[in-house]
Amino acid sequence: MKKKLLSMLLVVAMTASMALTGCGSGDKAASGSAKADAGSDDGEYTIVVMPKLTGIPYFTATGEGATKAGEDLGVNVIYNGPTTADAAQQVTMIEDYITQGVDAICVAPNDAAAMTAVLKKARDAGIIILDWDTAADPSLVDASIHNIDDVAFGEHMMQDLVKFMGTDDAQYAIITGGLSAENLNGWIAAAQAYAEKNYPNLELVADPYPTDEKQDVAYSTTQDVMKAYPDVKGILGFSTPTGPGCGLAIRDLGLQDQVSLVANAMEDDVQDVLSDGSLDEGCLWDCNDLGYLTVCVAKSLLDGNKLEDGMDVDGWGTIEVQDDKNVILGPAADYKAK
Amino acid sequence: MQIIEKLTKKKEMGILVMIIVLSIILAFANSNFLTLNNIFDFLRSNAVLGIMAFGVLPVLLTGGIDLSISSTIALCAVVAGEFMLAFPSSNILIVIIISMAVGAVVGAINGLIITKFDIPPIVATLGTQTIILAGVLLYTNGVWISGLPQWFISFGQIQLGAFHSVGKVVGLSMQVILLIVAGLITWLIIKYTLLGRGIYAIGGNKQSAMRVGYNVNKITIFVYIFAGLMTGLAAVTHISIVGQVDPNTYLNYEMDVFAIVFIGGTSVVGGFGTVLGTSLGIVLMAIIKNGLVLAKVPTYWQKVVMGLIILLTVSVDVINRKREQAKLVRVDVEEEEVDKRE
Repeated sequence: MKKKLLSMLLVVAMTASMALTGCGSGDKAASGSAKADAGSDDGEYTIVVMPKLTGIPYFTATGEGATKAGEDLGVNVIYNGPTTADAAQQVTMIEDYITQGVDAICVAPNDAAAMTAVLKKARDAGIIILDWDTAADPSLVDASIHNIDDVAFGEHMMQDLVKFMGTDDAQYAIITGGLSAENLNGWIAAAQAYAEKNYPNLELVADPYPTDEKQDVAYSTTQDVMKAYPDVKGILGFSTPTGPGCGLAIRDLGLQDQVSLVANAMEDDVQDVLSDGSLDEGCLWDCNDLGYLTVCVAKSLLDGNKLEDGMDVDGWGTIEVQDDKNVILGPAADYKAK
Repeated sequence: MQIIEKLTKKKEMGILVMIIVLSIILAFANSNFLTLNNIFDFLRSNAVLGIMAFGVLPVLLTGGIDLSISSTIALCAVVAGEFMLAFPSSNILIVIIISMAVGAVVGAINGLIITKFDIPPIVATLGTQTIILAGVLLYTNGVWISGLPQWFISFGQIQLGAFHSVGKVVGLSMQVILLIVAGLITWLIIKYTLLGRGIYAIGGNKQSAMRVGYNVNKITIFVYIFAGLMTGLAAVTHISIVGQVDPNTYLNYEMDVFAIVFIGGTSVVGGFGTVLGTSLGIVLMAIIKNGLVLAKVPTYWQKVVMGLIILLTVSVDVINRKREQAKLVRVDVEEEEVDKRE
């Protein structure tokens, strides 16, 4: 009896904890929609911005931007997503928002194919659909917010690495978050292609090393790579834990002046390794701006505007539009020591 | 002759041979591999997993399992990090004690749920794992804790008996010392105390252990607290290496930890396994991870080679054991004696 009771309690606790975080802003969402219903009378829009997952710094920062845009533009912004990068949970949550009758849904899909049916349903309900961070089925979205031009970003990191190395006749290595991450692979391919074309004497010592998106794995991998290839002069790090991880390894090896490192990073996490040149430059886009721009474009579409390259968007300014739908956030944001 | 015979009969033999063979191959592939500098480096990188492996060894010996360690280490790391930000003038000893205390509390909760309500450990610890992780993510929002005090960063850099060799400072780092201390404590407890005998007895046969007079519940609660304590120590060790707290980084840590313990010859159903075996498991995993990069094995092949080595090691172990058991089938008493001696 006792046993049954406790296992039931455990189950309840587990579901409760999932619900708590799964809908980390469950309350917010509920109150948001309540406001939306009330607000629909005075013409206030309700815009849902859904990240791939909540609880990681990247999507926390984009959320801050989105919420800020909501305040600045006077629209209701609901920023909510699953706690794990789970496409099925995103589908369920979007279905709930369709029922609630929101005006726009901006989603960063975990799996574009899995979203198709539910996005179609949302469209039929007259909801404006945007994707951001990662593309969904292009035929279903009204606009697609790209954080960066993938090719330009990879080339930019490669150029900066050569700039910091001071030579294009050297060996370099690539350390990446994971071998199956599509966006990372896109940047790596662009960087490699650019190097092959423009720096024929630059030699990549091995295939990219994966680090499970973990800072300590990036740290030990960098140490091992430097032992295997002591002549390496430059390292490119893709995915945000590589910035602090590889940077710390270079500091502990005492190679700040011998090895140049250009890596993705969240700005706040790498101030320390930037300070002594362990990390020469951190690269990413402005995460707050990504959330902000998404909401601005959504509102502009709700106002009945049509996307055009160079058009002015309320609260943002001029935007770059490619192929009628793809809005590009802008060039990379580079972090140097403050 | 007898000594050699005794040695080859040891269960750890398979993994030891694998370590020696791999080391020879890797030393030829890269002369850097067998340098003290590299050995200390890869031990340091694997100290966290190693300390956790020692921590869960007693749990696995009783036939239990603790899935919550990956969330517990995240919790301990966040608490330790926040504590240091709030009290920048405290010291390392207090930080370690607080982190271990947090781990012990989680362990006690696990132990109590498992014993008082007779819930299978895998279910109970899966529950606590989920709850703790959710709590940590709710509190931190996944944001890293940076700006830890300088004395803590310096603690992570301490190298004992440091000397200069080939232009590099070589020494036993703090993390490796903590790993060795954790191993010694675990060894003393399970080998030389009545408690340790009880742990093996429960893993062998719970009913018999009870009849012989062991307090099964108390021992069970102890092993989970012990796992929590070691996880707390591992948390401080981890942040002392990376200098920051990333609450998301510990996801799936428990799998790497179990891999070490099981490669080290510990039975999946409990009852046998040794600190020596687990130590060799740590060394083998460390060598594989470090050596494959140093030997310039292509990235995509590294995981394949890693899997093959693990399978090979474990099957040598299993074949040895089967052969031994075939010999002992007729004399059951002797087999039990062998097990007790483990």
